Amino acid sequence: MRDSDRKLYLASLTDRLVKGQMGRRDFLRLAGKLGLGAGALGMGMHRGPFNFVPSAAAQEALQPSADILKWVADAGKPFAGTTLKLATESTPPSNALNSQLKKYFEEASGIKVEIEVLPLEQVLQKLTLDVASSLGTYDLYYIDQSWAASFSQDVFDPREQLQKTDLAMPNYNIDDFLPALVDGIAMYDGRMVGVPYDIPIFIMIYRKDIYDELGLKAPATMAELASNSKAIMDAKGPAMAGIAGQMKSGHYSLECEWTSMLWGHGGSIFNPDKKFVGNDEAGLEAMAYWTELKKSMPAGVDGWTWDGQGQAVAQGVAASMLSWGEFFPYFDDPSQTKISGLCEVAVPPAATSLRTKDQTAFGETPGVGHQGGSTLAVSKYSKSPDAAWVFMQWATCADTQSLITALGGGTGPTRTSVYDDPRVKANARVGAGTTRHLPVVRETIAKHMGSEPDLPEWAQISSDTIPVSLGKYFAGGYGSAKEAMDDIATQVDTILKG
Amino acid sequence: MSVAQVKRIAISDSPWPWLLPLIALLIVFTVYPFFYNVWLSVHEFMPRTRSLKFVGVDNWVQLWNDARFWGSLGVTFAYFAVALVIELALGMAIALLLDAELPGFGALRAVLSMTLVIPPAIAGMMFLLLQDPQFGVVTYLLNWLGLLDKSTPILATSSTALAGVLLAEIWQWTPFMVLIFLAGLRSLPAEPFEAAMIDGASSFQMFRRLTLPMMSRVIAVAVLLRGIDLFRVFDYVFTMTSGGPGTTTYTLSYYAWQQTFSFLKWGYGATLSLTSLIIVMVLAEVFIRLAKVRW
Repeated sequence: MRDSDRKLYLASLTDRLVKGQMGRRDFLRLAGKLGLGAGALGMGMHRGPFNFVPSAAAQEALQPSADILKWVADAGKPFAGTTLKLATESTPPSNALNSQLKKYFEEASGIKVEIEVLPLEQVLQKLTLDVASSLGTYDLYYIDQSWAASFSQDVFDPREQLQKTDLAMPNYNIDDFLPALVDGIAMYDGRMVGVPYDIPIFIMIYRKDIYDELGLKAPATMAELASNSKAIMDAKGPAMAGIAGQMKSGHYSLECEWTSMLWGHGGSIFNPDKKFVGNDEAGLEAMAYWTELKKSMPAGVDGWTWDGQGQAVAQGVAASMLSWGEFFPYFDDPSQTKISGLCEVAVPPAATSLRTKDQTAFGETPGVGHQGGSTLAVSKYSKSPDAAWVFMQWATCADTQSLITALGGGTGPTRTSVYDDPRVKANARVGAGTTRHLPVVRETIAKHMGSEPDLPEWAQISSDTIPVSLGKYFAGGYGSAKEAMDDIATQVDTILKG
Repeated sequence: MSVAQVKRIAISDSPWPWLLPLIALLIVFTVYPFFYNVWLSVHEFMPRTRSLKFVGVDNWVQLWNDARFWGSLGVTFAYFAVALVIELALGMAIALLLDAELPGFGALRAVLSMTLVIPPAIAGMMFLLLQDPQFGVVTYLLNWLGLLDKSTPILATSSTALAGVLLAEIWQWTPFMVLIFLAGLRSLPAEPFEAAMIDGASSFQMFRRLTLPMMSRVIAVAVLLRGIDLFRVFDYVFTMTSGGPGTTTYTLSYYAWQQTFSFLKWGYGATLSLTSLIIVMVLAEVFIRLAKVRW
């Protein structure tokens, strides 16, 4: 029966029920024959086998705390009518704030918030122009961890802002932010460059069904990652590759993957003398490993950023990836992919050896779990810094962060308490917006996180020098990995000399 | 100003009231940006101090010693030459084929113009998908014909990446040549061709001795317009390869954009774009003189 006919028939049945021409039992029997579940009749049943939280109920539960909104109303009252502007990358927290949560803040405070969602490089351009002109076009800055050094003097240190007791949110608890993130993302030269806002981080995501079929276990070491990937490639390739990569020449994603390989083999980008050492023995070992691992990747990997990598796993082209954990809720969403419930997560494979922070420079922290987090800070050039500070506290407080995690599709929280929030834990099931990967994300942040160095030249080095040369290497443009890495070393030295 | 004065100006013979708005627009959008660019090329933005610092000719010296600049210039010239020759030859061939009143040809001519209204960035995305190593139609066809190994991604292989980008360029802009040439062919007088046919000239002879010489000015204008555009190629490179693999598809415009907006080297970016402008102006001037283009 066509859908339109079914709806017409249902309408006539409902009409007869309402007019008393049909009993309730007959109505349900006929409606059942029509193939309509009780859920379709609005009786509150869940939508599918994995969706244990009815969406309406979930939305009702996901409301901001009344106490928090009361504080927003009180603290924001003097600034009612102000308009705040924030330029941010399209990340789950920003999208959740923009589309679902900022209305609560605006209604309570009377402060209007305009959030510009842009590609990352455009955010950098906007912030740089704003800083150069000191116009204060943007009241709040979204600061990628690689820009912390550049903008450290252009934003307020939140610890200093908290001293203003009349505007401080009760129980804001700045110590609740994960210490590893505060250290890895927010701190530069003794200043806190905003508070940790989001934390995409590399974790191991793999197809459990494929691993089980081939008798494999989640890789605990880099060697196992390679052998597992090869085993899958041998058994299922080329239709399904062992692992997907993010290896587009000239793109930052290639540098991200490289650091994970480099750190995973005991290497580092810089030594304590601030010299590039990606071309040392450990660096070359990483390159040899990566070159070999690439043989277990799909043919198109040279053209993929993280988006292509995620799509490869989502479409069943690859069985695993060592990449951003925020992809996982997407894989679990049955309306988006056909692999919902088939993927599992694990902490990144252990490094063969790991350099300490003291053995590197510019705050570089080796770890296979490459992190790409960002902070949120109030601009020193803002014309309404107090109103911006009220918004920032609300946007990064535990209550709002829990809502962001639950509504924003299971993005990694930056506060300890959010991981334990019942609303977040309630979503730890297979399905859209799952949070079942968050324990692994939390453990990765605590034990396996790798942070890039902080230096003003890093934007150029990480987004051009390294990925362009690596792309050239993988396209056969160098005679050897040593030649490629030596060339990068020369270029980096030239850049650092200015 | 009174109504009478406005009326007097409006009906006067002076061209200035009508030229002034255009001149104002030119000053705001062309003259000022040009001089600002020249000024910027002798300065550099200092990220640490957030200020522009006078650097004299440093940016020009850096340009001279910059291997990436010379590489991108080479890629731009290669792109320019290959695309222009193919678009010219293909455009003329298709125009000659369509220069007839056969059923359906009118619709064909209309369809041809459709590629021109697609934004180049969208065309770039289309060809990115068409050349995808997993599911791309172009990749599949080349594999099927045995011209490409299955493990060779077109846009990620040094030897094929530029050709992959050129494919999008040629697909989108050959119709531009076709339309210009068709307009030229339609305006040619019929008499010389009728006389040649009576004298027993072959089609090729008529093309070489009549069509080409009479079309020379149209061809010259098409080459000039397309050539200037080709030298500024950016969209396809940005969407399809980001200049890669390595620096294989790094064009001058892409390099200037990257230096300006990704690395905030505004002075050096201005120097690169000025260099591009100078090269285009010199080439265009030489071509105009050689081809005796008259406007």
